Amino acid sequence: MSWTRRRLETITTWVVVVGWVVFYAIALATADQLPGPQAAVTDLVVPPLLWVLAVRSVLRHWRSGSGSRMSTMDAPQRLLAVAAAALPERRRAWGRAMTAELAEVQGRSARWRFALSCVRAMVGLPPAGGWPVLALVAGAVVASVVTAGPAVGGAVPGLRVFAVAFTGLVGAMVVLAVARSRRPRLPVPAPTVLVTAAVAASITATVVFLRREPTAAQYLPPAAAVYLAAVLAGCLWLALAPPRSLNTNRLAPHLGAGAAVVFAACFLLSNRLELTQPPLPVVLVLAPVFVLTPLAVFFLPAFTAATAGRSFRSGLHAAIWTVAATMPLTYALWLPEALHRHAIDGRTLDGDLVAPAAVNLADALVFTLGIFPALGLPLAVIGAALGARRAAPDNPS
Amino acid sequence: MTRTRRPSAQTTAVVLALAEQPTAWRYGYELCRQLGLEPGSLYPILVRLADRGLLETAWDTDVPAGRPPRHLYRLTGSGRALVTELAAAPAVATAARRPDPKVRWQGA
Repeated sequence: MSWTRRRLETITTWVVVVGWVVFYAIALATADQLPGPQAAVTDLVVPPLLWVLAVRSVLRHWRSGSGSRMSTMDAPQRLLAVAAAALPERRRAWGRAMTAELAEVQGRSARWRFALSCVRAMVGLPPAGGWPVLALVAGAVVASVVTAGPAVGGAVPGLRVFAVAFTGLVGAMVVLAVARSRRPRLPVPAPTVLVTAAVAASITATVVFLRREPTAAQYLPPAAAVYLAAVLAGCLWLALAPPRSLNTNRLAPHLGAGAAVVFAACFLLSNRLELTQPPLPVVLVLAPVFVLTPLAVFFLPAFTAATAGRSFRSGLHAAIWTVAATMPLTYALWLPEALHRHAIDGRTLDGDLVAPAAVNLADALVFTLGIFPALGLPLAVIGAALGARRAAPDNPS
Repeated sequence: MTRTRRPSAQTTAVVLALAEQPTAWRYGYELCRQLGLEPGSLYPILVRLADRGLLETAWDTDVPAGRPPRHLYRLTGSGRALVTELAAAPAVATAARRPDPKVRWQGA
């Protein structure tokens, strides 16, 4: 292990640990109820441990792949390579052309000037539909953002910030898509439809929930509303316009979407069973299933994709798809299920608390949009690393 | 193709530079140095010319080991027709006056 690599891994470990401790301290400081000592220790140890393992896996594979290629380049070359990689497919050849010409340029300052000038050219390349079309689309997006707040805020006051943020983010994605490509691509129809439908269902469920429980708006402060908008817009972006780097393995999206459906089914089943009094044998059989399913849902798709694709990158694609499909699907199910449960026994969906139904909005946000990415994503990344190692023990990439 | 307006002075300079040896393939960096243009100005011009079918491109794979293939450019038939059109226009001589090639991009 080289000194540079060891140093990078040590720094990464410390950044993750310190970052998590600070985040957890803030969470405790703002929490209504403090966790018990055992739960606090678990919270302080498990998430950072998963993240350290996941981030170190990513670093190891990155340095053995594109990272090692980048390490042989000088700074202008790296800058140009990154800019060229961000170009849309139809302009990719021009990025390669500029990168190749840089190899002919001698002298540090001349190379910097050449690279910076090329980056400027790449940024200013004419968009796919031409500048007038892009300006028209951008104008429509701005108009939508301006009108979304008052329009949605009038009907559902608690959703004003969410509406503005979501419209703005989706609008920015549309502008970017119009600039980069002439027509939308739907590379994997079934997972795309699932994630898109889950995002639409999430928004619908939030609207219905806030209409039925207007006091729930207190659990959707501006920061949470923007986060919800960012997560849903991000899932939509992954489904409808995934970047090329996340579109190289056809199995990964299907595995991720399948895992999300399994998790949703398990979630529904556990909720419904909790309301009944199932016989003891059924409880004994299902208990380990309910405990292991969440772990398997995040771990297995990434592990399988990495093994089948014989690469860490394939596993990483499956990991991202799994999280992106599971979050909106579970969130969309959580809110109606919570209303159903509350109407029966007045408890929150997890059954722990007799509380107003509105509290379920906070639970849904924390569990699906907080815990899934915080714990599920690193678990999936570790699965990808183990799958890649199993497929090719001598080749980490 | 119907042209609705005159190309810019820089575009004209690029087209005329390419027209000096119409059958020869040229490199982007070579054109930068010849015309004293920054790549940030030259490449968008080449992209537009190629988009309009005035320029054809190819990859030069005959490069030293370890170096990537270089992009090559030359005018198409339509591009050469544009040159004829530009040459016939009296304003072109001024517009296409070349800057001093030694001003910039002397690195290689």
